[in-house]
Amino acid sequence: MNDILFSQLSTFGSSVVLLFGIALLWRKSLHAYTVVFQWQSVMLAGLLLVIGYFGHDVELYFVAVILFVLKVLILPRYLGKLEQRFGGERESQPYVNVATSLIASGLLVLLAYAVTRPLVQVSSLPTRGGLPLAVGLIFVGLFVVITRKKALAQIVGFLVMENGIALLVALGTYGIPLIVELGVFLDVLMGFLVMQVFVYHIHGTFESIDVDQLNELRH
Amino acid sequence: MMTVLFLVMIAAYGFGACVALLGGAGLDRARLVAAGAATGAGAGLALGAVVIASGQPFALLIPELLPIAGGLALRLDPLGAFFLIVIGAGAIPAAIYGAGYSKAYEDGHASLRLLGVMFNLFLLAMSLVTLADNVFTFLLMWEGMSLTSYFLVITESSEDSTLRSGNWYAAMTHAGLALLLAAFVLLMNGGTGAFSDLRAGAVTLSPEVRNLIFVLALFGFGSKAGIVPLHVWLPRAHPAAPSHVSALMSGVMIKLGVYGLLRVALDLLGGGPTWWGALVLGLGAVSALFGVLYALMEHDLKRLLAYHSVENIGIIFIGLGAGLIFHSSGLMTLAVLGFIGGLYHTINHASFKGLLFLGAGSVLHATGTRNMEEMGGLIKRMPWTALFFLIGSAAISALPPLNGFASEWLVFQSLLGGLALPMPEIALAIPIAVGMLALTSGLAAACFVKAFGISFLALPRSREAEHAHESPLSMRVGMAILALACVALGLAPFAVVPMLGGVLAGLGGLPDTRPVFTLDLSVQAPAGFAQISPAWIGVGLFVLLALVPLVMRLARANRKLRVGDTWGCGRIGQTARMEYTATSFAEPLRRVFAELYRPAKELTIDFHPESKYFVQSIEYKSEIMPLFERVLYDPLLRLVRRVSRQVRRVQAGSVHLYLMYIAVILILLLVAARWF
Repeated sequence: MNDILFSQLSTFGSSVVLLFGIALLWRKSLHAYTVVFQWQSVMLAGLLLVIGYFGHDVELYFVAVILFVLKVLILPRYLGKLEQRFGGERESQPYVNVATSLIASGLLVLLAYAVTRPLVQVSSLPTRGGLPLAVGLIFVGLFVVITRKKALAQIVGFLVMENGIALLVALGTYGIPLIVELGVFLDVLMGFLVMQVFVYHIHGTFESIDVDQLNELRH
Repeated sequence: MMTVLFLVMIAAYGFGACVALLGGAGLDRARLVAAGAATGAGAGLALGAVVIASGQPFALLIPELLPIAGGLALRLDPLGAFFLIVIGAGAIPAAIYGAGYSKAYEDGHASLRLLGVMFNLFLLAMSLVTLADNVFTFLLMWEGMSLTSYFLVITESSEDSTLRSGNWYAAMTHAGLALLLAAFVLLMNGGTGAFSDLRAGAVTLSPEVRNLIFVLALFGFGSKAGIVPLHVWLPRAHPAAPSHVSALMSGVMIKLGVYGLLRVALDLLGGGPTWWGALVLGLGAVSALFGVLYALMEHDLKRLLAYHSVENIGIIFIGLGAGLIFHSSGLMTLAVLGFIGGLYHTINHASFKGLLFLGAGSVLHATGTRNMEEMGGLIKRMPWTALFFLIGSAAISALPPLNGFASEWLVFQSLLGGLALPMPEIALAIPIAVGMLALTSGLAAACFVKAFGISFLALPRSREAEHAHESPLSMRVGMAILALACVALGLAPFAVVPMLGGVLAGLGGLPDTRPVFTLDLSVQAPAGFAQISPAWIGVGLFVLLALVPLVMRLARANRKLRVGDTWGCGRIGQTARMEYTATSFAEPLRRVFAELYRPAKELTIDFHPESKYFVQSIEYKSEIMPLFERVLYDPLLRLVRRVSRQVRRVQAGSVHLYLMYIAVILILLLVAARWF
């Protein structure tokens, strides 16, 4: 009984997290990106609590708290600052338009189901239903990074991808050792800070945060 | 005893490299570096001599060092010992010479530190190639030798042409390494890489695999040795390198290609079908002829010598090819004769080509140019260099009693012995090879008449040549050692030939021929139809030369000695511009072989503006396009460029595209992991 509930809850939670990821694809204002990421992180933290509760793993509570602090409080705050500075720019012309993006994300999730099939088949975890959704979220995050032009959108895409990895870890293993989690969070924070610096530099050089200005990377 | 010598060799090279790294006062450091290299080479030479004299191989296995693929396995058998002696014989004079020669780099246009370090490491790696006893050690040292020599080639890296030469060398040597890797992987056949295992396993391989290994090894080692058509790096890299390095690379390093071929084809594979030998013989004959033909057209002294290296490697390969043919037919004594001819020419070439490169280096040092058209009259200003260069020229032209004659004679004898073989195709091929070898020898002599005559005789053709000066003592000592070696090796084949017989005994089932080639003053071909004694020829020539002044004195007993100008067809005031030039000397041959050279001529006449009957200047340019560059390398390079341009499209420069590559690869990997 407990297992069925756990299974349904984790699959449902994963779906919502993935939906927030896909939501990125039809929003164009930079503010919406931040909000979507914030809500996705809230859902993810909640899901971690659920997994921790049903999996009897106290460490996951800590992870959920740290994740909440980092991804719901700190990172969106910095994203907000960037937004204030460059908020006037909109992701008006992505490389792939919204409709195509949505179809592509659907295909990516299908692909995720296809490639995780052997894993799901041999797995006996109650959370196995969420595994393809987590892989799908990674694909969608990568898709955002590739197709969006604004540096800020790309940062959020990267963070969403990272959320996907965190989700996959939680669903697949009920949490890796805390020390590794902490390392991952520190990496995310550092990566974010570095990218933030780059955004300022890109803007300083090109008067815009369109990354497609960086199209002469060869000599 | 052997271990001590081995450790002294390692320590001395290490010392030389460390001193060069540490730096310090200029000349003293150069001397210490040279002392390290010379001591190491001397210890290596002694180690080789002890191994050959005692017949006991020296072995050292250090599995803890580099504990992959069997560790560092060293074993010096007589064949390796012979090549270690060649290295020592070439390296001692080169090191002494280098102490003086590298002084020219103190002005900072090349890094003395890098030169010193790489020189010592290069010698060390070469020495260890001859000692290697498993595939891993061999390939490691082989690659070490290639890399260090690459850095030596680009010593004068401030010049673009030097870097381009370095690129050619690196490309050719690594193409060779790729072939060798394939050959050794096939030879290992999944087992350990120890040479003793390879030897035992080679008999179980199928004939096709053995043939493939042989061909791979032939071209892999051939690219290092410089056989046609893989010779293109020699005329580029040798002139670019400092002269004592050219002497080592041309005299010693390319010989390790010969060593490798002997090691694989004869020792590890134990010989093969007749066509192996025929292929080696054919490549050798073609290399010899093409090498000398292109050398004739060169006016750059060091490029000329580099082409002669191609020629001499060809002669060595003719000897080896003849040996392999006889080996496959079971004519073991004749086979040994062929191999001895090849090996004898190996050490002879190391001495005279080393000497010639050192001589060319002295000329370059004194005049600052490698172009023969700007030399002339150097014999009066650099008498010692001229004498040494003359000895080297006579030796490479195979004039008795010098060493080139002794070994070429042996190669000829082994070829002539092949006429008795009952195979029509071989019996047809061998007279052709004999003819090509004879033509080669004649052309080589002509070429060195040109090289010596234009460079050293007559009047100076340029201001630099006019103010040339004799080179410092260390350089002269280096050359003198090699000149003595040329004479000694030429006079003493009765000692060298049995020694080489001992080196070859047991390799691939070759018999011990020391009893056949006895310690007589003359050398007798085993077929019994030829016999020669260079020592007696030497005595005869000496007597003849002593007679000349005597006869001259008698002949002009009642004539007065008169010193006057050379007759100039009645012209008053003769200048150096009326002399024979290198181009004009080579012109008849250029016409004879025009089909091969395809010379492009360009004549520019600048008339006086008033009248066409007054000429202000005439410019004549004539260039030849080397055949193999035209038909083989140019298309290949074009192909590589085209492919690279296509590949470059992947590098479009857009950050999104690069991100996409990552995503696509990720998805492809996932899909591959799912379905394969």
